[in-house]
Amino acid sequence: MSRLAETFAELERRGSCAYIPYICAGDPDLNFTAELVRTLDKNGADIFEIGLPFSDPIADGPVIQAAMKRSLAAGFRTEKVFELISDMRKSSVSKPFVVMSYFNPIFKYGVKRFCEDLSSSGGDALLVVDLPPEESQYLRNHCRNTGLDIIRLVTPTTEESRLDYLLSDASGYVYAVSVAGTTGQRDNVHNNVPSLIQKTRGKTSLPIAIGFGISRPEHVRSAVSMGSSGVIEGSQLISMYSANLDDRAHALRNIAEHAESMKSSTGTK
Amino acid sequence: MNKNGYFGDFGGFFVPEILVSALKELDREYRSLSTDMEFADELSHLLETYAGRPTPLFSAKNLSKECGGAKIYLKREDLLHTGSHKINNALGQALLAKRIGKTRIIAETGAGQHGVATATACALLGLRCEIFMGEVDVERQKSNCYRMNLLGAKLNVVKGGSRTLKDAINEAMRDYAATSDDTHYLIGSVVGPHPYPTMVRDFQSVIGREARSQILSLEGRLPDALVACVGGGSNSIGLFHPFVADASVRMFGVEAGGKGINSGMHSASVVKGTDGVLHGAMTLVLQDEDGQINETHSVAAGLDYPAVGPEHAFFSRSKRVEYRAISDDEAVSAFHHLSESEGIVPALESAHAISFASKLANDMSREQSIIVCLSGRGDKDVNQIAAMEGKL
Repeated sequence: MSRLAETFAELERRGSCAYIPYICAGDPDLNFTAELVRTLDKNGADIFEIGLPFSDPIADGPVIQAAMKRSLAAGFRTEKVFELISDMRKSSVSKPFVVMSYFNPIFKYGVKRFCEDLSSSGGDALLVVDLPPEESQYLRNHCRNTGLDIIRLVTPTTEESRLDYLLSDASGYVYAVSVAGTTGQRDNVHNNVPSLIQKTRGKTSLPIAIGFGISRPEHVRSAVSMGSSGVIEGSQLISMYSANLDDRAHALRNIAEHAESMKSSTGTK
Repeated sequence: MNKNGYFGDFGGFFVPEILVSALKELDREYRSLSTDMEFADELSHLLETYAGRPTPLFSAKNLSKECGGAKIYLKREDLLHTGSHKINNALGQALLAKRIGKTRIIAETGAGQHGVATATACALLGLRCEIFMGEVDVERQKSNCYRMNLLGAKLNVVKGGSRTLKDAINEAMRDYAATSDDTHYLIGSVVGPHPYPTMVRDFQSVIGREARSQILSLEGRLPDALVACVGGGSNSIGLFHPFVADASVRMFGVEAGGKGINSGMHSASVVKGTDGVLHGAMTLVLQDEDGQINETHSVAAGLDYPAVGPEHAFFSRSKRVEYRAISDDEAVSAFHHLSESEGIVPALESAHAISFASKLANDMSREQSIIVCLSGRGDKDVNQIAAMEGKL
């Protein structure tokens, strides 16, 4: 059983849903990223999505674009993501790590080498934003060989007739994109989420986690009531520290408090 | 092209899931319309009566004489309505979008020529239009910005990244992800995910079809060489494609060498790029060793792009087309030279092709001929060059 499968099984037993923070690696530097992971680990995170910065993130809104830009400007290199995960494992963070990336940095690093290094550093899964199953054959084989889960996105524009194919190589969980568009905060969880979950649920027994626009405890409660097994939060966390970079300790305290309130809203399933 | 839009190892469909259904629909609709005679007739009618096709193939005798070698012919896409070849594709895709029930069009633009062509097609066909343009390009192409507004389009100034064409495409794709139910993304070059590289090539191939029959009637034989500038690569693919099977015809794609191809300040994606994925396609990309996309430079905004259409990457690998770089200085000098020798002010993009063709002609004999795609007119560049030369 993969670490992700164990995590969801355990949450299911406790009647809870997964709180999955997204963290942009190296924003504004790798020391801060490590502190952020440790803070979230102690304050409610169940799974970590680690974003690998890319110069041209076409699926991301302004907050994550800016985070990636800061990370790259500070000299982020691809192999740093493996060092980060490996360091976290050494400092006894035992929760699953999902690396979320655009394809080009992986392609350039070498798909085989990337999968091997991610797996041996202690990573659990790969989500490649711009690599649909049509283009995934090579990556799929290497994920299998190295024991990595492949996280697939289902979206409001995904036709039901595509779901079987789309989810045929998925494992770990399914990332349901709540709204057509890019990442970023929104006021409410979109009202098409229940139907998105329902149509996906008809095609897979994998846990379904909701992302895009999750930033407040009431969003978590809505997502849980809509049948979600997890919530993914990204832009909000970045906004909480990016405005506060001169006082990192303060930013981390705010984030700890926020994460706790998000996690405590996951337990009503 | 084979399955999923591959040209050899290049092309494909590297897109976020949110765009998959819209692109598959576009592919289906485009394939069904490409055999629809009524659609073809409607497009030809517009190209003739509105855009001004066919364009002349002009024998540039003064330039040829100065170069002292092969006869240089200019395919006069600069004479088209809106001033460049971009209208061929804009009309084709706008008609297609209207047929499939889209009411809003978005497009990226670099030099502004594709933005103007798209705004024009939308005005004609009654479609809402928004154009994305990098802040740097807005600055160097002010008159085209005004033209887009005049034509009823909304201009969105893109302030992210390098603030040029690449970022305009990023922003248009982000918009498309949220709006594809009523919006068509009218890509202006042979770049992007399948089906764009094929579709845009097909709409631009009218350039080469006309040129082929024109040169045959003027010279009684095929040309010895074709020359066209390559940014994303739409005018060049359009000229080249109908000659691909003619083995005796050499083809040259001319990229922006900027301040020199070893300076890091250029846009020569084929000459200097490596395999990578940008904007939905596997192609040749200017990137660092981690796969982060490099910032590029060219005096010509329309060439200032860190990748190239995947079919060009294929033609480069298969050696069917040869790729060369021409520097900013050489292009500006050709801009002046063609103006003085033939009374034709070329777009800075096209001036790259003129510059290379002049050198090439010199190495060829008088019995031989070259067709250069004069993809656009230089009116848009006059202010920029005058300012650079301190004459404004």
